[in-house]
Amino acid sequence: MELFTSLRGWLDERVDLEGLAALARKKTVPSHRHSIWYYFGGVTLFLFIIQVCSGILLLFYYRPGEDTAFESIRFLMSKVQFGWLMRSIHSWSANLMVLAAAIHMFSVFLTKAYRKPREITWVSGVLLFYLTLAFGFSGYLLPWNELAFFATKVGTDIAGSVPFVGGAMLELLRGGEQVTGATLSRFFGFHVALFPAIFTVLLAVHLIMVQRQGMSTPIGHEKSSEETPMPFFPNFVLRDVLLWLIVLNILAVLAVFFPWELGVKADPFAAAPAGITPEWYFLFMFQVLKLLPSHVLFLEGEVFGVLVFGIAMALWTVIPFFDRKSQRGQQGRFFTYVGIAVIVFILFFTILGWVML
Amino acid sequence: MKYLSLLFSGIMLCSFVGTAAAQDRQDECYACHASMEDDASQAFATDVHRNGGLTCASCHGGDASLDDMDEGMSSARGFKGVPAGKAISATCGGCHDDKERMGALGFDGTTGQLTALRNSAHSRGSGATASPLMECTHCHGAHGIRPARDPASRVSRRNVVALCSSCHDNPRYMQQYNPSLPTDQLAKYRTSVHGQRNARGDSRAAACPDCHMAHEIRPASAASSSVNAMNIPMTCGKCHGDAKYMEPYGIPTNQLALFRGSVHGKSLLEKRDVSAPSCNDCHGNHGAAPPNVESIGNVCGTCHALNAELFRASRHAVEFEKAGYPECETCHGNHDVRPATAELLALGAGSLCGSCHSTENAPEGFRAAKVMHVLLDSLRNTVALAERRIDDAEQKGMEIEDVRFSLRDARQARLQARTAVHAFSVEKFSEVLDPGLLIARQALIDAEAANDDYYFRRSGLAIATLIITVTVILLFLYIRRIEQQQRSRKQAVS
Amino acid sequence: MSDSTSPSKRRTLQMLLSAGGTALLAAIAYPVIAYLKPPKLSGQSVSSVGLGAVDEYAPASATLFRFGEKPGLLMRYQDGSFRAFSATCTHLDCTVQYREDMGIIWCACHNGKYDLEGRNIEGPPPKPLDEFTVIVKDGEVHVTES
Repeated sequence: MELFTSLRGWLDERVDLEGLAALARKKTVPSHRHSIWYYFGGVTLFLFIIQVCSGILLLFYYRPGEDTAFESIRFLMSKVQFGWLMRSIHSWSANLMVLAAAIHMFSVFLTKAYRKPREITWVSGVLLFYLTLAFGFSGYLLPWNELAFFATKVGTDIAGSVPFVGGAMLELLRGGEQVTGATLSRFFGFHVALFPAIFTVLLAVHLIMVQRQGMSTPIGHEKSSEETPMPFFPNFVLRDVLLWLIVLNILAVLAVFFPWELGVKADPFAAAPAGITPEWYFLFMFQVLKLLPSHVLFLEGEVFGVLVFGIAMALWTVIPFFDRKSQRGQQGRFFTYVGIAVIVFILFFTILGWVML
Repeated sequence: MKYLSLLFSGIMLCSFVGTAAAQDRQDECYACHASMEDDASQAFATDVHRNGGLTCASCHGGDASLDDMDEGMSSARGFKGVPAGKAISATCGGCHDDKERMGALGFDGTTGQLTALRNSAHSRGSGATASPLMECTHCHGAHGIRPARDPASRVSRRNVVALCSSCHDNPRYMQQYNPSLPTDQLAKYRTSVHGQRNARGDSRAAACPDCHMAHEIRPASAASSSVNAMNIPMTCGKCHGDAKYMEPYGIPTNQLALFRGSVHGKSLLEKRDVSAPSCNDCHGNHGAAPPNVESIGNVCGTCHALNAELFRASRHAVEFEKAGYPECETCHGNHDVRPATAELLALGAGSLCGSCHSTENAPEGFRAAKVMHVLLDSLRNTVALAERRIDDAEQKGMEIEDVRFSLRDARQARLQARTAVHAFSVEKFSEVLDPGLLIARQALIDAEAANDDYYFRRSGLAIATLIITVTVILLFLYIRRIEQQQRSRKQAVS
Repeated sequence: MSDSTSPSKRRTLQMLLSAGGTALLAAIAYPVIAYLKPPKLSGQSVSSVGLGAVDEYAPASATLFRFGEKPGLLMRYQDGSFRAFSATCTHLDCTVQYREDMGIIWCACHNGKYDLEGRNIEGPPPKPLDEFTVIVKDGEVHVTES
């Protein structure tokens, strides 16, 4: 006990533990009927931590390369104790993370939590979300199996149809004109080095901003003192932990009952197998691109679709600067309708893509 | 040259045939030509067609009833002269390809010979005009035609061999049409049982058309050919499966039936695997004869090379020769070769090895057979069990592809061990089989481990879920307690 | 549920909670530790290697060979006889070599010396080299574990 006290004192002198503790004691979380949405950021963060841990563990056995990637994953899954678990956890956690991040993002959008002064939090958050999708896309190829190979082919092909820069982008992504072992090396680099580095910076900005500014209260709930704000520590933190444990439980059940399959090794010269689909979170884009007519205006259908999606994603990122009304703290219906329209659009085409598989 | 001259005096059957009046009329053409003693009319004297009432005009046209030569042989009377090329066979086919017409003439025999000829290798086009290689008269002649059953006929079994080989025995001649076709058929045929009987005047022994057909002769490579590998069993069986026909020769007639049930017969006739042997692959075709006791090993060894090699170096080779046993046939039979299973090594009553080897008499061989039998059985069972367990594990979603892959080696070892049996040495046999057994056992262990792992995962999950759930509940209670305290403290303050 | 009854209850709850937390950590740590343990590779072990024809080895020579994942040293003596040793020095994990000039087996790492029968004669090696069994059959050299 003595040792603990002196260690604490030693640390306190250097990093002002007491200050931090005071900060934690003082910090509160607004309490109202939309409070439930506050937890999804934490869940996303938890899943990201799991991704980092399980990803590092996978790196111990994974060997990138055309001749070794598939084999090393097979080795991992059949020979390494709990190798199957690590891979299943990583895959399931990735999918749940996309889901949690999406819920987090849309809840923030609909409660207008992006409004002044939280524009930086929103922009960093949206960029984190896009990066999460990029993580998913690059990680999907790493086992070098047939489905991933063709999904990557199709995915990078779409990137290649961007006007002017498409060709260069395609080569940059693929490390050549075709999806080959060079693509695998690149995607591996993206997945374990480049993206994590960017992600860390953005995440730091995002979290610091959240801590500095505290949680946003939805417009119209600020003054209502119907409920007293909840102390961040321990109430909110413990609730967070509670939810994380539930998520962990779900993850464990999914990983054991629906282990991620490995499939067949990719063969660049084999014919594409039937039923190639992207990951579910790209399904709506895939479906829309599929349904577009061959020509829209003066553009090819695919090019048009890619342009529209690109512009929409860019606009989505900077939406706080357009929503003037909310900046002034007034309730406005227009952007709520925009958000609902986007959600309905995504849900509709995801379901359509699912049905039309 | 005789045939060529006959060709130039072609024949034609025309519309006169079938009218009763024509038969009654005197054949003035023949009367005159016979008095000239020319070759055509002399040959025609014994022609089956003349005996049947046909006249010269039936084929050549004109009016045979007129004794005025100029008018009878005028084009106004339909005189055509000597048919040439396709017109020759068209003339014959006018009747012989017409079932009704032949029926009206009182024949119920085969028709359609011309169609058959035109479908045969002999009607392949040749030269710039692409005219068929052969017409009816090439084989049957023109004016002295006799039925094939008449021994004097050019196409009777006695004569047809010479007829066919007049071309097919001539390398120079055949080169013009099919340089890759062998020309040693006659020489081989003369060495065969068929050929020797034929030479002795046996009119029942198979001659060329019996296997190759009379008219519809096709190369062996054609699927519809009577001598295509797939059709040969039926072609040979036409005679050899006919107990009545073969009666005078006193040989069995069950070969076709036995062959159909054999591993070779099933591969060839059911799986349509043309690499499986047909009758001729063991017996030869033109030189058809049963293989001798000492040559059986060579015959089987052409395909089963390794088995034959091992056998020849084995002790059995010596002992079998002493005892006069046919090499492979002693154990495997001939026409009814069964798939080689481990049962061949069984030792019970009526079994193969047991018929010579017993504990008292030749105990060494008895022991060897027993060991090999047990080992082969155990390898097969282990592989089968491992496969089942791998299937089980895969169904449970376990990643076990590499174990399945390793079983390939075990299966290969089993195949090789089945061959190695022919060395009849437990030591050599084990050298091949043991590694396979090791692999199969390891695969079984791995598959069992994968199956166990499945249940381990489930129970592991159960424990983990239990821990997490309990912790969640405790945490929930803890939070509730804390908040109750906070609330009561606040109330106390206020 | 008043405050007065809680202290003992609360302590129980805290104890249970820390027990749950510990079990949880163990449930996570166990698979992770098991995962980090490299799996044993079956089928990689070697019990015998063939080293080719006798004539390939000159008398009074030594050849390094691979025995599974470990190196071996095949000695052929003046009289034409063979012996084989593990080429792993018994001191640390270095690979020994034959020194013709010194007439010994020598380890470069710490100047360990063995005589040609594999006995440690000088330097740090604590014991003789492990020996394999050499079988010469039909003019071929085979080395097996003894």
